[in-house]
Amino acid sequence: MVLTEDEALELLTYLVTAARTQVDEAAEYGPLRLLTAAQRLAGYMAPRVSPEMRSLLEGPIQRVPQTATRSADPDGYAATLDTMCRALAEHLVTRYGVDGGAQ
Amino acid sequence: MTSEPVSRDQLERILDAAAHAPNAGNRRLQRLVVIDDAATLRVLRMVSPGMLQRPAAAVVICIDVGRAVEYGLPATNSGLLIDVGTAAQTMLLAAHALDLGSGPVTSFSKAAVSTVLNLPARWSPELVVCLGHAATTQPSPVGPHRRLTWRDLSYWGRLDRNANTAAGS
Repeated sequence: MVLTEDEALELLTYLVTAARTQVDEAAEYGPLRLLTAAQRLAGYMAPRVSPEMRSLLEGPIQRVPQTATRSADPDGYAATLDTMCRALAEHLVTRYGVDGGAQ
Repeated sequence: MTSEPVSRDQLERILDAAAHAPNAGNRRLQRLVVIDDAATLRVLRMVSPGMLQRPAAAVVICIDVGRAVEYGLPATNSGLLIDVGTAAQTMLLAAHALDLGSGPVTSFSKAAVSTVLNLPARWSPELVVCLGHAATTQPSPVGPHRRLTWRDLSYWGRLDRNANTAAGS
């Protein structure tokens, strides 16, 4: 278990209420809210995970500021998200041993 | 914001300022709910995705929709929300004058906030003014767009064709 019940409840509440507020808000707030949830989850997880995982959670996952939105720099925003996705994928490849190459 | 509390006197001065805010017809259809206990603030933040800060106090500005309807106003009358804005802005300025940090939040679940604060059914929570002592480091503002000046936003007199084109019509 990498979350306490209170932490999990806070994150669950954030996700549900964000789903509701997003109905009335600008579309670009969608990724912003998801990233905030991801960063809060990362903050809860970081003290209880492996050094490799912690490095990911405290590095690439925190790369986008909580207040950043797409409209200020659409290409840069997408590129930064791609960087985060690549970092996650690289961690997954290593963690699950799928880097042996095609047979 | 830091964890330093906002004093009762400071809160009362901010609320007093709000009571003097411009208000259509001086009807005063807004109601202010002050939250300054840690447990309620925590839960309020949990149901407010737009509340990135951790305020030491918060004022929830509600519209008394029931009273508005009794006045003959439609519940969707835009003036009701304009008056929420003037109350909020007046409180933000009052907070600044008291050397407090402040910030408005509208991204919250109205249903959840109503439940958390046990609001009457005829009240609609519309905006939360977060209050506290400003931290030394601040996140960048949402959307670091080009800083607009008054010249970008203002027009003198009747708009000519060029102004209309520039405005996108």
